[in-house]
Amino acid sequence: MTWAAPSRGFRGRDQRLGRAVMTFMLFLPALIFLGIWFVWPLGQLVVLSFQYDGGAFAAYHELLSSEVFRTVFVNTLKLATFVTIVCAILAYPAAWLLTRIKGFWFSVGLYCILVPFWISILVRTFSWMLLLERNGPVNNILMSIGITDQPLKLLFNDFGVYLGMVHVLLPYAVLPVYSSMLKVDHRLLQASDSLGAPGRTTFLKIFLPLTLPGVTAGATFVFLLSLGFFITPALLGGPHNLTAAMLIDSFVNERLVWPLAAAASVILLVIVLVVLAVTSRFVSLGSSVVVK
Amino acid sequence: MKRYKPTPQAAAQIFGAAVLAFLVMPIFAVVPASVNEASFIKIPPETLSLKWYGAFLEDRGWMIALFNSLRVALLTTAIALFIGTLAALGVERLPKRARPFVIGAVLSPLIVPVIMISIALYYVTRSIGLYGTVPGLALGHALLCVPFVLLNVSVSLQRLDPNLARAASGLGARPTYVFRTVTLPAIWPGLASGGVFAFVLSFDEVVISLFIAGYSAKTLPVKLWEQIRVEFTPVAAVASTVILAFTVLLFIATRMSARKRTASSERSQ
Repeated sequence: MTWAAPSRGFRGRDQRLGRAVMTFMLFLPALIFLGIWFVWPLGQLVVLSFQYDGGAFAAYHELLSSEVFRTVFVNTLKLATFVTIVCAILAYPAAWLLTRIKGFWFSVGLYCILVPFWISILVRTFSWMLLLERNGPVNNILMSIGITDQPLKLLFNDFGVYLGMVHVLLPYAVLPVYSSMLKVDHRLLQASDSLGAPGRTTFLKIFLPLTLPGVTAGATFVFLLSLGFFITPALLGGPHNLTAAMLIDSFVNERLVWPLAAAASVILLVIVLVVLAVTSRFVSLGSSVVVK
Repeated sequence: MKRYKPTPQAAAQIFGAAVLAFLVMPIFAVVPASVNEASFIKIPPETLSLKWYGAFLEDRGWMIALFNSLRVALLTTAIALFIGTLAALGVERLPKRARPFVIGAVLSPLIVPVIMISIALYYVTRSIGLYGTVPGLALGHALLCVPFVLLNVSVSLQRLDPNLARAASGLGARPTYVFRTVTLPAIWPGLASGGVFAFVLSFDEVVISLFIAGYSAKTLPVKLWEQIRVEFTPVAAVASTVILAFTVLLFIATRMSARKRTASSERSQ
């Protein structure tokens, strides 16, 4: 290395600088884009949330002190919790089945998870509206097998919203669980088996704990997505199925009170960030995203 | 034939299969609804007819919406590919420790509730004249698409041996030539899958579009939303089937090309 000695230090620094500038240039479009189109608009909204008549925190005060608005937030949290629990319970056996099948049936099973990711949430929700209609196929089947004499009300109420939300968000729960199951070392299960542990013990003591991070990651995704969900509850729900997102929409489009809309969305964002901060202490959410 | 005893495993498998079926089956309910002849929706259809497809194609409003959707999706794809690919190349040049923070920053639009992004964009686009325009919508959709392009391109970049680029430049190739002959072919699969996913995300997107499309850039999902809030018509089922068909075709195309790629790379090894 001695042959480059005289100019090496100088040129080395020059190159490093050139390299740093080049790296920065590669990020420049993303920086400008996110700055103008993401940080600035959200910043405007935060500023707006403090500009309600009657002081800086008036909008927040009105939202949190009003019985009606509090109920909406509580209902949104309840909905998100319920949907998360059901999705986690349904996702587990589905992901497990995926680890057990091979070849053609594996492709079929995997596509059952991947195709819904691609298909418009609006179309999926509309399909449920057609299925759950008063004269729709679900009611027809229920009546023809004698479960009910007259059509049940399945739409524009809790049932419709909960069913639709679970259906729309379930794929987000299955994939992280599946990837955590793939990582389980099967020699551990064999060891447990050969040491005479019954299947139930092997499952509860080894398989379940090892796959729990995947369940947590999936549950977090579902919970966060359902907190801000708009389309599905707005279409499948009735007048009393108001969620936080629908409340924000009505502030903007019907009541034209921007500061309240801004404050409500800031509250929603704070809840999301708190949930993320708590769960990311237990599992690495990033590694579960990349698998997708 | 082996006979299975009912075990917990078998029960879990059957339950799992039922869940998987539950995930896909209901999605396609719009298809039978779109081919019924009567002017109301009936599943299963009584008399098959494609007449509502004709009605859809002849309706100016639906056609403009379809055309808007395609324009927005194409522009979104271009923007997302440009920004996302450059950022992915940048991430590759960063020290390993710094990468998660930068990736996290680019992914952050996926964490913020879409309703918040939507009203924020609604608020600012009106003041800068991008409300109700195709570029405004495309930029909004790109917020959700750039992360996927970045992730897809990063995955292909990680598979690329950095020594190849070093060897090329050591042999005197200029950076642009190295990029064209070494980097670009290597990240091509990532670009393709990221680009297709960006297109589909934009083509499907409803919430941001509802807030900033206005009347003049109304997309197919927005028109569909307005329609089904009023009543369920066979034409709405046709529009849904069209959206469904677009996405399923693109999905199959990417799967086929991915399979062909793995097959050819296995052959060459």
